[in-house]
Amino acid sequence: MRGITQWENTRISVRSIAGSPIRSALTALGVMIGVAAVIILVALGRGAQTQVESSLNSLGANLLIVYSGEPRGTALVRSNTANIRPTLSEDDLAMIRALPPELVLLSAPASTANVQLKFENRNIAASVVGTGPEYPEIRNFRPIYGSFFTEIDVERRSAVVLLGAQVYRDLFDPGRDPVGESVRINGVSYRVLGVMEEKGSAAQDSSVLIPISTFQRRVSGDSNYAMISIQAASSEVMREVQSVIEQQILRLHRLPSMEYADFYIANQMDLLSTVAGVAGTFTLLLASIAGISLVVGGVGIMNIMLVSVTERTREIGVRMALGARPRDITAQFLTEAVVLAIGGGIIGIALGITGSWVAMNMARTAAEVSIFSVVAAFGFSVLIGLFFGGYPAWRASRLDPIEALRYE
Amino acid sequence: MIELINVTKEYQMGDTVVAALRGVTSSIGKGEFVSIVGPSGSGKSTLMNLIGCLDTPTHGRYVLAGEAVEKLSIDRLAEVRNTTIGFVFQTFNLLPRLTALENVEVPLVYAGVPRAQRREVARAMLERVGLPDRARHKPNELSGGQRQRVAIARALASKPAVLLADEPTGALDSVTGEEIMELFHTLHSEGSTIVLVTHEPELARRAERIIRMHDGEVV
Repeated sequence: MRGITQWENTRISVRSIAGSPIRSALTALGVMIGVAAVIILVALGRGAQTQVESSLNSLGANLLIVYSGEPRGTALVRSNTANIRPTLSEDDLAMIRALPPELVLLSAPASTANVQLKFENRNIAASVVGTGPEYPEIRNFRPIYGSFFTEIDVERRSAVVLLGAQVYRDLFDPGRDPVGESVRINGVSYRVLGVMEEKGSAAQDSSVLIPISTFQRRVSGDSNYAMISIQAASSEVMREVQSVIEQQILRLHRLPSMEYADFYIANQMDLLSTVAGVAGTFTLLLASIAGISLVVGGVGIMNIMLVSVTERTREIGVRMALGARPRDITAQFLTEAVVLAIGGGIIGIALGITGSWVAMNMARTAAEVSIFSVVAAFGFSVLIGLFFGGYPAWRASRLDPIEALRYE
Repeated sequence: MIELINVTKEYQMGDTVVAALRGVTSSIGKGEFVSIVGPSGSGKSTLMNLIGCLDTPTHGRYVLAGEAVEKLSIDRLAEVRNTTIGFVFQTFNLLPRLTALENVEVPLVYAGVPRAQRREVARAMLERVGLPDRARHKPNELSGGQRQRVAIARALASKPAVLLADEPTGALDSVTGEEIMELFHTLHSEGSTIVLVTHEPELARRAERIIRMHDGEVV
């Protein structure tokens, strides 16, 4: 029964805070900004991460690409493969196609070359990709207009072509229907089947697609492929698919190990985990910077609380004379600091969520508010109130009631 | 009620020790109205702080309402102040943001009395000091005399054994001061033990008994 309740302490704090609203708002401002910064920066970091991951996923699901030649960099999709000497044979492709559907769903060979494209009086340089009808599915790269060529076109070596979005814009006037028109590739006439969707990547948007057989016959004269795109059955089997294919192609090429290989396999999973790791570090870095501003906000609270304790020395003396124990005074000022920090935290959360929304909808930046960052920022602001309120509260409790009552 | 036996109080002032009280022995009975008088520097403030349990003696014994106070912990001293002593200050020392009623409630808040009960007691106390209609006013909306009445109501709220008044009329004009003194007499006649600390002999004579202080001793 004896002793002040925490509820009463909270009432006292809220009254004291409400008693000087401007000062309280300024005191909590630092925490407000800190919490908002944590939430917004983490949201931006995660937004960037999600964007990179989704753009990676937009290359195709569970994608592996077998490339001719030596490993180069970590890129999943190489921007220029026209100058690679193709080393992947029809046997390699047949082997991959013979793998069970539990491992490999689809595969498509591809080779590329740089060519001249001509339509009416327009003439541009572009890259031509010879590939199979599975390519749109595997690479998640589909016609938005017209239709892709079929297996029959491959068998017949049809002179048909699909245009990248940029190629279409360069060759045709806006609004002009290209389907059925003839474009010339290195002087040979091809019938346009459709236009591919825009991917935002110059390599894809500035290329045209023709059947692989037509490519081999009319463009390269080489029966090998520069690369083979593969869709694995699931993300879990990707590593296994990679190692099986590596072993098999080594065997077919009569090579002892990957050190001597004339091909390499880029794996979407590896790339995703690398990117996720980098993006995670980036988000953490942003959160740390924002966390520092939160700590600075805490120092602001400490500063004002120290001033407040001095200003209210007499009140403290009166409360002590009337029966407040030192711990009651500690609790009063600690509660006040925590209430300020929580108030700042709640407003900061609102600001942070609003700010992230603005970034997403007005500034068109990818932002993704994480519940964890909201909870963490809130919890952190409570801790900041406790930590930075602790010293002023302790100072208040140590006042001598006689001195405090005499304080003018 | 109050028993002081050879109480001394010494302060360390740099290298020297200053004795503010040099062996005070005195007692105040239940229901007495006693004044402590003396010039400034006589030790009467120190004595009042000791009686009010704001401080503890360096040597000697102090028994308040049957409890030896000289060796109590800081927390226990706070409890004794809360339940046994009712302070009335020269400058009222009301908390400016609280209403009169809430000011009277403060000791009860620290005693852990539930809100409804607190309200009831505080209202009764304001009625007792003649301010039943000023409950919702803030201190700055009250006159000096009214403020001191609120302070007295606050001192009475926890039904203390001793009412300890430090120059309670010092900040008031003579007419209002007189009213406050009458209130003390009324409270005394109703059974309160009152200790009045003052430097005015005039005022001191209004008590039943005078304890005169000089150079840290009772004379």
